[in-house]
Amino acid sequence: MASIVLNGVDKIYAGGVKAVNGLNLEIRDGEFMVLVGPSGCGKSTALRMIAGLEDISGGEIVIGDRVVNHLPPKDRDIAMVFQNYALYPHMTVEENLAFGLKLRKMPKAEIAKRVNEAAKMLGLEQYLKRKPAALSGGQRQRVAMGRAIVREPQAFLMDEPLSNLDAKLRVSMRASLNQLHERLGVTTVYVTHDQVEAMTLGDRVCVLRDGLLQQVDTPQNLFDNPVNLFVAGFMGSPSMNFTYAELVRDGSGAAVAFAGYRLPVPDSTFAEKPGLDRYIGKKIILGIRPSDFEDAVAANGNAAGWVRIPVRANVTEELGSEINVLFTIDAPPVEHKDTVAAQNDGDEEETTLPLSGDKSLWTARVNARSHVRPGQNVELVVDTHNLHFFDVDSGLSIGHEANVGR
Amino acid sequence: MTRPPQRPGGRVGVFGTLSHLALVVWAILVIFPIIWTFLGSFKTNTEIFGEHPLGLPATFHWDAWGRAWAKAHIGQYLINTVIVVALSTFFTMLLSSMAAYVLARYRFPGSRLIYLLFVSGLSFPVFLALVPLFLTVKNLGLLGTHTGVVIVYVAYSLPFSVFFLTAFFKTLPTTVAEAAMMDGASHTRTFFQVMLPMAKPGLISITIFNILGQWNQYLLPIVLLPGNAQDKWLITQGIANISTNAGYEADWAGLFAALSMAIIPMLIVYIVFQRQIQSGLTAGALK
Repeated sequence: MASIVLNGVDKIYAGGVKAVNGLNLEIRDGEFMVLVGPSGCGKSTALRMIAGLEDISGGEIVIGDRVVNHLPPKDRDIAMVFQNYALYPHMTVEENLAFGLKLRKMPKAEIAKRVNEAAKMLGLEQYLKRKPAALSGGQRQRVAMGRAIVREPQAFLMDEPLSNLDAKLRVSMRASLNQLHERLGVTTVYVTHDQVEAMTLGDRVCVLRDGLLQQVDTPQNLFDNPVNLFVAGFMGSPSMNFTYAELVRDGSGAAVAFAGYRLPVPDSTFAEKPGLDRYIGKKIILGIRPSDFEDAVAANGNAAGWVRIPVRANVTEELGSEINVLFTIDAPPVEHKDTVAAQNDGDEEETTLPLSGDKSLWTARVNARSHVRPGQNVELVVDTHNLHFFDVDSGLSIGHEANVGR
Repeated sequence: MTRPPQRPGGRVGVFGTLSHLALVVWAILVIFPIIWTFLGSFKTNTEIFGEHPLGLPATFHWDAWGRAWAKAHIGQYLINTVIVVALSTFFTMLLSSMAAYVLARYRFPGSRLIYLLFVSGLSFPVFLALVPLFLTVKNLGLLGTHTGVVIVYVAYSLPFSVFFLTAFFKTLPTTVAEAAMMDGASHTRTFFQVMLPMAKPGLISITIFNILGQWNQYLLPIVLLPGNAQDKWLITQGIANISTNAGYEADWAGLFAALSMAIIPMLIVYIVFQRQIQSGLTAGALK
């Protein structure tokens, strides 16, 4: 096992497109690092550079204590799992697993031992004599996994390994992956565009955008303290609600005013976010997570810092355990380049219909006991301790430790 | 078989009927001469040109086959042809698959130029090059040898094979080759142990094509294996010899027997290889 360090790594494609731009990242020994971002953000390119499948245009990649820039993939002692599995179609499962070991001139007995161990771990024992064509998608995925495991490499590289599985299988494979990492403890770099996968799998998550590193942190920290509008909008589902707002202070204390609402800002927030007080009297972008809302009735009396706001529910999405309440607020939608980029997955041209006109469509995630129906007026409470403030121009999170002095 | 849904006006139905009719006519056009040739080899000259040229022979005369095999040396020529075609097809396939793989998979300065050079060979009729070809082979001292014929066959078959296989290799998934690289395979090993087996359907199609094409060559052997090297002749030369040498006393039955001997191996090759073409051999590699 080994750590992987990227020092100012660049990837410039022919034609001058910079896919990865000065990427600095340290993946610790035994860590599960997830690279996440919308399509075309350079995450796969970064992974392929670690693997040795792409040339490195600039900077340095260190695996363990070796600079691997000019080493071919086979000498980097790493194994990769591909999105489309890339099994050898003319070999049986057993031969697929053993191929890499045979090439390394390993004794037959050792190969057999490792193949059987991996097959047992992945539940592939009864399929060893089959060819990939005779396997289901999930089984092929496990064979691809097994091919990496038998190698016992310094690190696993995984390029969206679950994205070809159906939704249910993906969830169970996600859990298996977690267990596998617990058991083997091998340094893993995992690429995905799915922020749920990123949150659930990663020890730490690295958010990329247009080849630039946005933020590296634990999933919870990314969720609670996003460094900028992009990360705030990208992580979390449903995504964070944004609006232009004004930060004011009067006799009753500080508050944030938007669309006819006025939410008090607790003093503790100013303590947590140094520099926020400089924005008093100025325009900011306010962000509120859907999960920081609750139905006032279901909340059953509000704790300190929870403020009531009346809204009219346009649409409700009942998910069983909770309800997503979609409502409009009387403010123009925030069209900052960062929030647009975070919503745009690159695959779909238009993610939302422009039904709400020049009003912002917000989402609140409330308890299923709420029984709110579309068209009803409902009182929501907001947890004012978890408000997010962003600079209108730069899109940076105000008071985030990484942004202080920026 | 499921029929495609009928479009308004029944155009699909009419087209389907016509295309089947055309296929039936085509099949008759191909099969009938072969059967006639085959039957002709058991007839006497009178029966071939008599009142019922399309009828069955009165008795099956096997002696025409014997005459063709021994007296006209078709046996010897058949063995010569098998050797030449086997060697030249082998080298054509080896060289063209290697060239095509590199041209399809690796980007390097001049790769496009090399590819175009190969393809331009397609547009060059071999007839135009007969004299220079003859002189070149003669200068190499390979005139009247099988080596000379094999080399020319390989050169002459490469353009189409490279053209076809380059397109084929481009359709194969790149990630499988990358997986092999990660597993520690060298470029050579990746090619021979991973990519080549995956390219089997394409390789078989083009192998059949090359065997048939080279087996049926007549012009090139005439130029490269002249009359003074008669023991090196190929089967097409031998067959032509039966009809040209005989003059007015043509041994038509013997000629048909010789033709049948040339046809039968090709039918066998075709049937055997055709079975090997399993479409979707890459099934299971991806997704």
